[in-house]
Amino acid sequence: MRKCIGIILLIIIAWGILTSLQTMPFGVSRAKVANHYINNGKDETGAANIVTSVVINYRAFDTLGEVTVLFLSAIGLGAVLATIKTREKRDTEKASLILSTGCRFLFPPIILFGAYIFIHGHLTPGGGFQGGAIIASAFLLMYLGCHGEKRLNDRCSTFSESLGGLAFVIIGLIGLAVGTHYFLNNFMPLGKFNTLLSAGVIPIIYIAIGFKVGAELSKIIDLLMEES
Amino acid sequence: MNEMSILDPVLLIAIPLGLAFLIPLLGLVSKKIVRWIPVVGFLFNGIVALLILPHVLKQPIIVKIGGFVPPFGINLYAGSVGMLLASLIAITGFLVSIYAVKYITKGAEQKYHILFLLLLTGATGVVLTGDIFNLFVFFEILCISSYALVAYLGTRSGLEASIKYLIQGSIGSSFLLIGIGLLYGQFGTLNMADLARQIVDYTEPSVFVSMVFMITGLGIEAAIFPLNAWLPDAHSSAPSSVSAVLSGIAIEVGLYAVIRVLFTIFAVSNFFIFFMVLGVLTVLIGEMSAFAQKNIKRMLAYSSIGQIGLIVFAFSISTQLGVAGGLFQMVSHTLGKALLFLCAGYMIFRTGSMEISSLEGIGKKMPITALCFTIGTFSIVGLPPFTGFASKFMIIRAALANGELLLQILIGLVLVGTIIEGAYFFKIIQTIYFKGAHKTDNREEAPVTALIPMLILVSFIIVIGMFPNIIDKVLQPAASELLDQVKYIGSVLG
Amino acid sequence: MNILYDYIYYAGAFGLIFIGIFTMMVKRNYIKVIIGLSILETGVNLFLISVGYISNGTAPIFSNPGIEAKNMVDPVPQALVLTAIVIGLAVLSLALSMAIRLYKHFGTLDLQQIKEQRW
Repeated sequence: MRKCIGIILLIIIAWGILTSLQTMPFGVSRAKVANHYINNGKDETGAANIVTSVVINYRAFDTLGEVTVLFLSAIGLGAVLATIKTREKRDTEKASLILSTGCRFLFPPIILFGAYIFIHGHLTPGGGFQGGAIIASAFLLMYLGCHGEKRLNDRCSTFSESLGGLAFVIIGLIGLAVGTHYFLNNFMPLGKFNTLLSAGVIPIIYIAIGFKVGAELSKIIDLLMEES
Repeated sequence: MNEMSILDPVLLIAIPLGLAFLIPLLGLVSKKIVRWIPVVGFLFNGIVALLILPHVLKQPIIVKIGGFVPPFGINLYAGSVGMLLASLIAITGFLVSIYAVKYITKGAEQKYHILFLLLLTGATGVVLTGDIFNLFVFFEILCISSYALVAYLGTRSGLEASIKYLIQGSIGSSFLLIGIGLLYGQFGTLNMADLARQIVDYTEPSVFVSMVFMITGLGIEAAIFPLNAWLPDAHSSAPSSVSAVLSGIAIEVGLYAVIRVLFTIFAVSNFFIFFMVLGVLTVLIGEMSAFAQKNIKRMLAYSSIGQIGLIVFAFSISTQLGVAGGLFQMVSHTLGKALLFLCAGYMIFRTGSMEISSLEGIGKKMPITALCFTIGTFSIVGLPPFTGFASKFMIIRAALANGELLLQILIGLVLVGTIIEGAYFFKIIQTIYFKGAHKTDNREEAPVTALIPMLILVSFIIVIGMFPNIIDKVLQPAASELLDQVKYIGSVLG
Repeated sequence: MNILYDYIYYAGAFGLIFIGIFTMMVKRNYIKVIIGLSILETGVNLFLISVGYISNGTAPIFSNPGIEAKNMVDPVPQALVLTAIVIGLAVLSLALSMAIRLYKHFGTLDLQQIKEQRW
């Protein structure tokens, strides 16, 4: 019964989408807004990576919301899992020496790579979210490889997620106070194009986001690991 | 201009976000400060919103985020509707967060306050934004914090409700995103005013499909009739302070988004009969289901569905008076339902049960709370001199204004719904005051932090109900803003 | 053949979306519903990204001076997808945390057997 209803509903949706897609063929040229970003983005934001300039400058408010959503999910996860009292112990076997040494050996390079990704977000593909995800993967490796030996420092992750978020908001408010008086405007000098110290506030915001995302994703992993 | 640059509407979103990020840090210092942070945030928001409100009645403020001219950057559109709802959100949030200071004692308190603060910040973002994808992002902030808050108490029913809500809500947001993607693919812009300028005919199949996707997605959050299966569970199993904002703010904001998309982006003109019938169906189904309930919070939740139907009906009359009536009904529902949930919260806390029958004799036990509850029910049902009467009266006047037979029949059905509403609310009042007189009447009033918000809400309900002209000054510009698409486009794109 | 070439990415994206919605509507096991949600989100993201593609396009990055702006793909959907992925991840992690709670409370993940709330 449910399957029938489901299939009928899907057929209706598919028919609607087919009619809609006929007016937007695949792979045609870009629209006005996108052209503006590609032609003027370089000069207006100073970032070589146009996606970054859209994410952190033109649509920075979305990104602020996005950071908030991630923050929310970490907090919500904590709130949902908070009231579990009984925690049965599971038998875990200690990982072999090779595995745990390998994980410990790989941990610093992965962190370093994550940091590289988010610092160079305005020049190369990548950015705060991607770098943060890589950092979190380093923590995931530690949890999997060296089970229960090392844990995420709670206070440290709280500090980096709060300070990362605060830095984003405060940079926005500074933009409101100085320069052209717009929230989140790029008030710093744009610097020489395609170098590390360029694009004004973009690298700073991406570093803040990198710390925040890394801390939050690691915290989510930590919470889920602890409870499951 | 100088004064306005200090009172930028973006502060209404930025400051609460900053405070929310600050809470974990403050939590390391002291656990007690944390519960006052939402109070501070919403006090600030309320003051700023009320200071900005007079400025926007004639001319909306367009906030360009990052200084990029629309449609190239995201802009906020602080018009009369946006600021009216933002003030309402801030005031309700302020009162409910005072209530929550003593009410929330179980679970991860600090996380509760963060989620609560962000829930209403998301709502503020939705009502202020002028960019369709930005609306989606703030909508998600609103939704995700409500999913987590519904499951906050960790009870079995709360968990089940939250899962239902999460599944349906995430399908809804995916639909919204598909709609946004289709629109972007066709018009190459995300700015609402720019979209509105480019969409000449919404009945064109490709545009119509994206509209249906967006309305379905937003309609799930707004709890319009066939999409409201999650609401009674979610609103009845959340902590009462959360139910108050979910019922009072969250669904209203969803409805605002539906209205904004319909009126401003697509400029829908001949589709309103459908929404009218949908609204009346929502009223009747909501009120009849509420009548059958034995659990007080479920009854209030179903009554919210009925009220939402009434608001949908009022908006779909789509005249100046009708839209103003719909907005007024939003305001009175927010005040009334928030008050009812706050009162019900402590009544349930004291009796230890959500069954209506267990409320016998509570009128003697908690006289002030019971009185506030009674006033709230009177306002929701629509008795003079409370706000509910003024708003319902406005809707009836709007429906009868052009003398169409269909409208007269439909408003008749709405009034039937109101009578059912009256019947079940009087049943509760009867239980509260006139049953169980034999019980010992040791008084156990709610604490002061709960009584103050209730009494303030009562005073709002009475004052606005007696002098509807106060709010009418805002409602009329707000209604014309929603109906005047050309002016909206002009003020954003110049 | 031409039609297939024009619409193959959309077809793939909407295929995933339909599979996701169907899974979410039909399956009773909560974990399977979450998997459906994940497929749905992937489909939506794929759809958004293919909206911005242009034929023979390059990434919108001016990594060396000789690069021309002419062939770059639309950067906006990429930014949107970045946001959408993060939001999807947030919903997914919350859903998973509820799955943990669900199992602790009810001892089952079958949504049909959980009937605490009545209508």
